[in-house]
Amino acid sequence: MSEELFRDYWWLMFPVFGMVIAILGAARDSAYQDRVIREAREKLERK
Amino acid sequence: MNFEELFRDFWWLLFPIFGMSMGLWGMSSSERRSREVMNLIRSYVDQGKEVPPELLRMAQSDWEAPSRSPQPPQQANLWTFFTFAAIAAGFTVGWWYIRAEEWSFAFLVVAVTFAVLALGALIITITSRRP
Repeated sequence: MSEELFRDYWWLMFPVFGMVIAILGAARDSAYQDRVIREAREKLERK
Repeated sequence: MNFEELFRDFWWLLFPIFGMSMGLWGMSSSERRSREVMNLIRSYVDQGKEVPPELLRMAQSDWEAPSRSPQPPQQANLWTFFTFAAIAAGFTVGWWYIRAEEWSFAFLVVAVTFAVLALGALIITITSRRP
């Protein structure tokens, strides 16, 4: 990889950052939903 | 063809591949979770127990995250306008920098598309304003 490649495509940092944030957000939402389901299942089995 | 040449020719594939991956992931996980939630709700109802409100909220709100509080439509439209306008501005700046390139039209197409979407969101916001 060359310096020239970076000079030509440095701006890709911004959309890639957006993609990383989108993945993190989706993973966080997914973890929350999994936790709600797990807790509901545990509550159902406990009672 | 080395990696640099390959990247220069196909860097734009990052975006559709990312979109498709997220779409597939979202669809598969959403389908699995909705099945699990419905089974759990059914089990709670069968046993005559009170269904947890979070579970009902998940079933009702089509997997909307808890941090995203529901916004009034007008505010949501205004936010959509700003989002589309920002994307259009970004792609316009991108097109301006690389306008000498043969493939720069791709940036312009995206910029014009988002500009039209932003305009539509603005029109909806103005016309749906309450007296």
